[in-house]
Amino acid sequence: MPIEFKKNRAVFRDEVSVEEAEGLLEWLQGKPTASADLSALSHLHTANLQVLMAAKTGISSWPKNAELRAWLEPALNSGE
Amino acid sequence: MSPSTKRPLPPNPLLEQFLSEARDLLENTGKKLMQLEEAPDDQEILNELFRGVHTLKGNSGLFTFPEMTRVLHAGEDLLGMVRSGHSTYSRELADRLLDAMDYVGALCGEIETTGEIDASRTAESQQMTEALRKLMPNPISSVDKVAAAGSNGESANSAVPSADDPGYRPSPLGSIPEAVRMAAIEQSRHGDQLHWIVYRPQRECFFHGDDPLNGARQTPGLIWGRVLACEPLPSLAELDTYSCLLGFDLLTNAPREELDQYYRYLPDQVEIAAVRPSWLMNEREEEERPSKASSTASRARSFSDDDEAAFDRILAAQRQILLLEDRPVWHAGRLRSVAEVLANLSQAVGETSARADIEVALEEALSTGHNTLLMAWLDGHKDLMLEAGLPCSEVAKNGISAVHVESIANIGSFLESDPGKLATDDGVKFGRRAEDASSGPRSLKVDQAKIDRLMNLIGELVVEKNALPYLAQRAEVQFGNRELSREIKGNYSVINRIADEMQDAIMQVRMMAVSFVFQRFPRLVRDISRKLGKEVQLVLEGEQTEADKNIIESLADPLIHIVRNSLDHGLETPEVRRACGKPETGKLTIRAAQQADRVVIEIIDDGKGIDPAVIKRKAYERGLIDEVTLERIGDQEAVNLIFAAGLSTAEVVSDLSGRGVGMDVVRSAVEKINGTVVIESELGKGTTIRISLPLSMAVTQVMIIESDGQLFGVPMDNVVETVRVPRSAIRAIKQSLTAVLRGRIVPLKSLNTLLGIPTVPRPNSDDELAILLVQTGSEVFGLMVDGFKETIGLIQKPLNGFLSGLSAYSGSALLGDGSVLMILNVREIV
Repeated sequence: MPIEFKKNRAVFRDEVSVEEAEGLLEWLQGKPTASADLSALSHLHTANLQVLMAAKTGISSWPKNAELRAWLEPALNSGE
Repeated sequence: MSPSTKRPLPPNPLLEQFLSEARDLLENTGKKLMQLEEAPDDQEILNELFRGVHTLKGNSGLFTFPEMTRVLHAGEDLLGMVRSGHSTYSRELADRLLDAMDYVGALCGEIETTGEIDASRTAESQQMTEALRKLMPNPISSVDKVAAAGSNGESANSAVPSADDPGYRPSPLGSIPEAVRMAAIEQSRHGDQLHWIVYRPQRECFFHGDDPLNGARQTPGLIWGRVLACEPLPSLAELDTYSCLLGFDLLTNAPREELDQYYRYLPDQVEIAAVRPSWLMNEREEEERPSKASSTASRARSFSDDDEAAFDRILAAQRQILLLEDRPVWHAGRLRSVAEVLANLSQAVGETSARADIEVALEEALSTGHNTLLMAWLDGHKDLMLEAGLPCSEVAKNGISAVHVESIANIGSFLESDPGKLATDDGVKFGRRAEDASSGPRSLKVDQAKIDRLMNLIGELVVEKNALPYLAQRAEVQFGNRELSREIKGNYSVINRIADEMQDAIMQVRMMAVSFVFQRFPRLVRDISRKLGKEVQLVLEGEQTEADKNIIESLADPLIHIVRNSLDHGLETPEVRRACGKPETGKLTIRAAQQADRVVIEIIDDGKGIDPAVIKRKAYERGLIDEVTLERIGDQEAVNLIFAAGLSTAEVVSDLSGRGVGMDVVRSAVEKINGTVVIESELGKGTTIRISLPLSMAVTQVMIIESDGQLFGVPMDNVVETVRVPRSAIRAIKQSLTAVLRGRIVPLKSLNTLLGIPTVPRPNSDDELAILLVQTGSEVFGLMVDGFKETIGLIQKPLNGFLSGLSAYSGSALLGDGSVLMILNVREIV
């Protein structure tokens, strides 16, 4: 599974496709304080990013992939 | 429909190409749908399928075929949903899609014959489209919802951001981090045209399989980009996962054409603008510009810890370069590059005045060959530059949603590595399709007539070539010139070799893989088995086996016939199979393999097999075999009786354990191309039908026989053996002559009688008659002839004109001496 849902933390791995977005949304709805671990992420489908942005999910660790991090960090940090 | 589409289209090469491509695409689509049935989760197949239909739709849009485009569009949408996981693949869905593809195929056929699609098709196409759309899960609900929520979907999706759009800042470049902005200014000063891209994906873009973030990430020449929400994101409870609310602002240094090419599938969603250098300055900066050089406060900000480290590394590297002892020819270039780096660095921290100093130092270094001044500048300014950057690092961290390029060093490497990344990244290319690959076609599509002409020419060459030995003989015998004869023979052998190779090469061109015929079986088996309520697993083997095009083509009908029979009568229904202790899913294997100069195709099923006793009885009742045969005939022979013409009536089939329908048709079709077909069956276990075909029809091996002074050819496929039988050993039983050969009674027929020649076979000096044992199907009989000659390979020509009515001959061929050899059609003359 590209997203592993732990107790209060979603661990993202490799490529997370559009199919995951629905599940992610549901999971986050139940866990407003959950955080996301993106360290092993290589690509995140836009739909998932949108969910994370809307949920203002806290990020426990940023992607190791610097280029991806550069995209995600401002978007997810500002909480827009 | 407009009048222009009513009138038949003139021959249009574009249209021809479209039709030929469409056929290939449809075929492939059908195949992929089958494969998908096996592996419904295979994204790869799904993608290919989608692309195929997409291409087809796009191509059909070039012409005025709205019916076709409409259906394809619906198909594409449906596949897009399956691909993006919004719809699941089902048999129903596959059925509809296959129907749609068949329909499109029919439309193609119609276009080909009449040049247009009849207006009456419109209703059909509408129905087809609706059937497809019905399978989509509320395809437009998301859009509807948005529209109902009061926001105009159209303007929200439009590429031009409106002023009241909260996520959009009027000064497009205002949000770029300083370091990036500075680098961008620098690039733009150096003549690089930068582009600003406003990418606002459609809300429903996810349904089209787009991933805008991926698209943005892969944008060529990307310098900087950011994600923003085009409108405030709703709370989680109201968020529609499948409606894209995000937008992207991108800064790139790729040329306009490349960007247009990259975004050509989304022209309505992006706006690309050339960046004017003034855009890169913000207002404050422009005001402060005059005092900037001396003011530390106005220096660019965005200097994080990471930046500092990178900065240090860059300076250290420059230092090392300056310390290098060697003086290669490119030393001047080295110095210039150091100077450039230093100037850029100071620019990045706002020390714009430093460039002049550095240039002075560079001039000095270039003229004297000493680096001291540059080195001194480097050492002297290092701390200053870092100081300038440091206090501002906090600002950068708080910068709004902007891609924060890790360090200045990264900007450079980012840009450089980008093209390479595009080339090596084998992920899905956003906006790029497989057809973009500019590799030339690897194969030629040649009209078959051209190949046939080549074939005929080589045939003539072979015949002409065969005249040379006769010439050589004449030179020797008639003119007594041995030397000339030898020379002619020498030339002959060379020409012979070349002609053989040429013939072989042309044969190769005509060779086709049996997959041409096999590829239609998955669909056929699927359709028939579903209709019959049987579970069948089809196994295709040896699809790459090749044979002559004509052979392969004429194989199609018999094979379909056999497969249909196997499914209908051979394989049982799941219930029956379970009762017999067999797995519920029956197995049908179609296997092709090359054996020497023949192709053997086997159709194997594990069904109920054929009961020889029933066949025997039926054959006897129909008078196909007599009582003696009934007793004598073995089971295998009996089973092969189903190829006999009399057994192939529908009525027999229903009583029999199957396999009656037109099996004699199968046999005659196979025999027409010099093939043989045999059947093996084990009751309760299954049936194997084996078709053996020549690799090529072009060259036929023929035995030449003589009768009444004339030469005839008999295909070697029919020849069993040649014997000489004393006249005394031939007995007459009633009207027919027989002889006992190898313990078997063989009926004898005189070729002269069969051909209506009023002479009797001539015995040789020992009073023996020459008998050619020939076989047609499972029958063996002896042809009484006058003598045997050699066997030769020749190219048989069919009889034309008046002669084509002569069924006794299958064709004619030219012999080396120019005479015509008639080839007997053994099956017909007896």
